[in-house]
Amino acid sequence: MPAGWWLRKRHYFMYVVREFTALPMALWLLWLLFDIKSAGAGPAGFQPPRSTGFVIFSAVCLVFAMYHSWTFLKLAGVIIHLNVLDKPVPPRLIVFTMFALWALASIVIGAVLIGFGR
Amino acid sequence: MSTDTRKRPAYAHLFWWFMFANGGGLAALVLPVHILVQGLLGPLGIVPVVDQHHDTWISVLGNPIVKLYLLVLISLPFFHFAHRLRYLLVDFGVHAAKSVPAQVIFYGGAVVVTLVTIWVLLTTAPISFG
Repeated sequence: MPAGWWLRKRHYFMYVVREFTALPMALWLLWLLFDIKSAGAGPAGFQPPRSTGFVIFSAVCLVFAMYHSWTFLKLAGVIIHLNVLDKPVPPRLIVFTMFALWALASIVIGAVLIGFGR
Repeated sequence: MSTDTRKRPAYAHLFWWFMFANGGGLAALVLPVHILVQGLLGPLGIVPVVDQHHDTWISVLGNPIVKLYLLVLISLPFFHFAHRLRYLLVDFGVHAAKSVPAQVIFYGGAVVVTLVTIWVLLTTAPISFG
């Protein structure tokens, strides 16, 4: 393929962005692992994540993570084939269910992360 | 000359696709809220968040269910990331990314992250049901 093929059409560009989302999400999860490890340093050595740089980093990662969620969950209607009472479940219902699950998981996990804070 | 036409199930292929699909699905369902709450709302002081204070963070990290959840949350998506980034390199003309050494590096990297995560979770906070 010629160099710069991914800049020739919007569709190609968005495909590359979709695949690239893996990198910022991986970096953020590595940071989470570091955050967990830093708790082992004890109360004196623990640095709570509050820096401006970290907030900007997280904001950028969030944009990519949201795009991953949007594109991945939309694909569920194409990938998942279910039959209920010998009738195929409409792809739109599967996609709706996945987005509802996303909302529910976000509420539950958000509530836990905030509820156990002080 | 005899030819064996029976096909064996591609268990290895099945395993990696399982890890790819579920890693991507898990990241899609739960990662944004972690980034939003732990990466933005907590650090900005908008809401209290569990990892903003050592006592709350270490207390939660001791829970075995939380340890298991964090292990899956951190490790599983890396199998998805490894696959996507490897094929992104192929799309950009890096054909070496298709090679066996490249597969070992990318998927082996995901295995290494899994092992490091297990080690961190087991050594950071003692297991506690409190």
